Amino acid sequence: MTPLLELRGVEVGFPVRGGRVARAVDGVDLTVEPGEVLALVGESGCGKTTLARTIVGLERPDAGEVRFEGEPVARRGGALRAFRRRVQMVFQDPAGALNPRQTIYEAVAEGLRIQKTPGNEEELVAQALSRAGLRPPERFFRLYPYEISGGQRQRVVIAGAMAVGPSLLVADEPVSSLDASVRGEILELMLGLVRETGVSILVVTHDLGLAWNVADRVAVMYLGRIVEIGTTEELLGDPKHPYTAALLSVVPEAGGREPLILSGETPDPTRIPSGCRFHPRCPLYASGEAARLGIEERCRGEDPALAPARGGPQLAACHATALTEAAA
Amino acid sequence: MSAAPRPAAPLLAVRGLAVTYAGSGGGVPAVRGVSLDLAPGETLGLAGESGCGKSTLAGAILRLLPRGTAVTGEVLLDGEDVLAMRPGRLRAVRWTEASIVLQGALHSLNPVQRIGAQIVEAIELHEPRLGRGAVRARVAELLELVGIPADRASDYPHRLSGGQRQRVLIALALACRPRLLIADEPTTALDVMVQAQVLRLLARLQEELGLAVLFVTHDLSTLAAVCRRIAVMYAGRIVEEGPSDEVFRAPAHPYTRALAAAFPVIGDPAFRRHPSGLPGDPPDPRELPSGCPFHPRCPLAQPECPDVDVRLRPAGAGRAAACVLVEPA
Repeated sequence: MTPLLELRGVEVGFPVRGGRVARAVDGVDLTVEPGEVLALVGESGCGKTTLARTIVGLERPDAGEVRFEGEPVARRGGALRAFRRRVQMVFQDPAGALNPRQTIYEAVAEGLRIQKTPGNEEELVAQALSRAGLRPPERFFRLYPYEISGGQRQRVVIAGAMAVGPSLLVADEPVSSLDASVRGEILELMLGLVRETGVSILVVTHDLGLAWNVADRVAVMYLGRIVEIGTTEELLGDPKHPYTAALLSVVPEAGGREPLILSGETPDPTRIPSGCRFHPRCPLYASGEAARLGIEERCRGEDPALAPARGGPQLAACHATALTEAAA
Repeated sequence: MSAAPRPAAPLLAVRGLAVTYAGSGGGVPAVRGVSLDLAPGETLGLAGESGCGKSTLAGAILRLLPRGTAVTGEVLLDGEDVLAMRPGRLRAVRWTEASIVLQGALHSLNPVQRIGAQIVEAIELHEPRLGRGAVRARVAELLELVGIPADRASDYPHRLSGGQRQRVLIALALACRPRLLIADEPTTALDVMVQAQVLRLLARLQEELGLAVLFVTHDLSTLAAVCRRIAVMYAGRIVEEGPSDEVFRAPAHPYTRALAAAFPVIGDPAFRRHPSGLPGDPPDPRELPSGCPFHPRCPLAQPECPDVDVRLRPAGAGRAAACVLVEPA
C-alpha cells in the first residue's frame, strides 16, 4: 500500500542572527498511512511544529522530499490547490484561528469557496457542523465565535477543515488550550472522524497521555530528528530510546516509574551536538553505561540512524539500543 | 494514609472566603464561600479549571486583587486576619510570612535589571539593617538553593531559559524566608522535563525549609504527585477535599471523577483509544446554574440537583465532597 504521506530526509532551517542556521527539522523520514492517527511528540523547540507546517506546505524543505499519495507535492497550479484541499491543518488556539467578525457559517463556508468545493454550500456547511457535533447546525450559522465556548470553537475549526473533504488532518496541539474536562470530547470527535471518513490525522503534541488516548503510532522528536517511532503500545509500553524513557518517566500519569529527570534543557538548534545529538544529556552516557558497552566514542562522533531496537519492534536512533544481542 | 489528626494551629486558615469582582452590570462572584486549613510544612493542592476561582483564592490570601473587589470572610495567617491588616503590616507579612510565585515566569522579572539585583531589592526592602555582605551572601545562597550557579546573579533575565527564570522567581519568593509559599501554576508554561525539574525543586525546598505550600493548578495529575492533600474547586467553591492519592484514585464527586479521567493513565487499557471528557464547558461565574452548579454537566445528576445548593459533607476519613450522592460515612 502506498503511504498517504511520505517524508524522506526532510530538512528545514531558519537563518538566525550571526549568520548561523537553526536546523529546526534536520533529516526526517516519516510515513502516515491512510486512516492512521500518528502522534508526533516532543518538547518545545524540537521542530515538531515546523515539521507539521512543512507537511501542509507552509514551509518549504531545504532538502529532502515530501510525497503525498505517492506524488511529490506540487508547487503551483491546480495540483497545488488539490493538495491543499486534501491536507488541512487545525491550529492550537481556536480563538485565534477564527475571525472574530465572521459568523460560524462564514468560517466554515470560506474554505469551501476557496477550494471551489462542488455541491450546495449550505448543505455542506450544515453537514460539516453536524459531523463536528454542533447540532442542530442551523442554530450555529449566525453565531459569532465569542458567542460559543472554547470547546465549540475548536469544533468549528475542525468542521471547517473537514468540510473540504481532506484525507489528512494535521492538528497542532489541538486541545492544549482547552480545559481538561473539555479535551476528551474533542479527542473523541477526532477519533470518530477517522472511523467515519477514513481521514488520517497527524497530531502534534507534547502530551504523551494524549498519544495513549488516540494514536495508532507515536514518533518522538528531539532537536529536529525523530529518535524513536513505533506503535503506541510498543513505544509507551517499553520505550527504547533513553530520551523517550525519560520523557515517559516524568509524566505523572505514567505512574510507578522512577522519574528520570534530565538536567538542562533542549539545546539550541543552531548548535546541534556532534555524534548522537542527545549524548550531552543522555543518562546512559552520563552514567558510564555507554562506556561499559564500548560505544562512548560512537555516541560522541557518530550520528545514529533509526534502526530496529533490541528487544522491541520499534525503531530507535541510539547506539546502545541498536546493539545486537550478541554484541551486547 | 488516612485520618492523620489535624494539627491544632494551622499556619493558614481561610474561613468563609467570598470574592466578588466588580463588573459592569453587577458583581462577578469568583469565590463563593471557601474554607481551608494549611498546617506548617504541609502541602495543599488546589485544582480546578479556568474560571473556577482558584487563582482568585490564591490572590485573595495576600490581598493581591484589583481595587473595588469585594472580599469577605477571614484569611488567618498564624492567627492574624490578613483581610483586616493595615497596609504597613500587610507589606511586612508579604514576603516574610507568605509569598507567591505566579504563572508566566517569562514576564514577571524586570527585563532591564540583573537577577541578583532584583533579589537584593526584595531583601533590602524587608531587612534594611542587613549589611551589604550579608545580603550578597543571601543572594548567592538563594540561587544555589534553586540550582542556579551564584555567578549567574549578574545576568539579565533574557540570558536565562524559561526553567531558569522560574527558578529565579522561586528564589525571589524565598528571599525573606517565608513560612508559606503560594505557587500559582508555577510550571504551566514549561516543558515536561523542565516541569519535572521545578517540581522536584519545590518538593526539596518544602522538605528542607519546612515550607507550607499552597499549589494551584489545573493539572490534577501533577497535584496528586506533589501534594499530600488536594482541594478541587468548581464554580467558586471547593467540591471535594481529601488526601491526594485517594481523591485522585477514588474520587467522591462526579466532577473530580471526570477531571481525573481527563488525565489518562498511560499503559492503562481503559484509556486506550478512549478519551474521556464532559459535555459543555466550565460555567461562567456571571451565569452560574441553579442548585448544584455542576448539574448541567453531571453524568449522575438527580432530579433534585437543579434545586439543591449542596455543601461539603463528610465522605470518609479526612475527606469531604459536595454532592447529594455522597452518603455521610
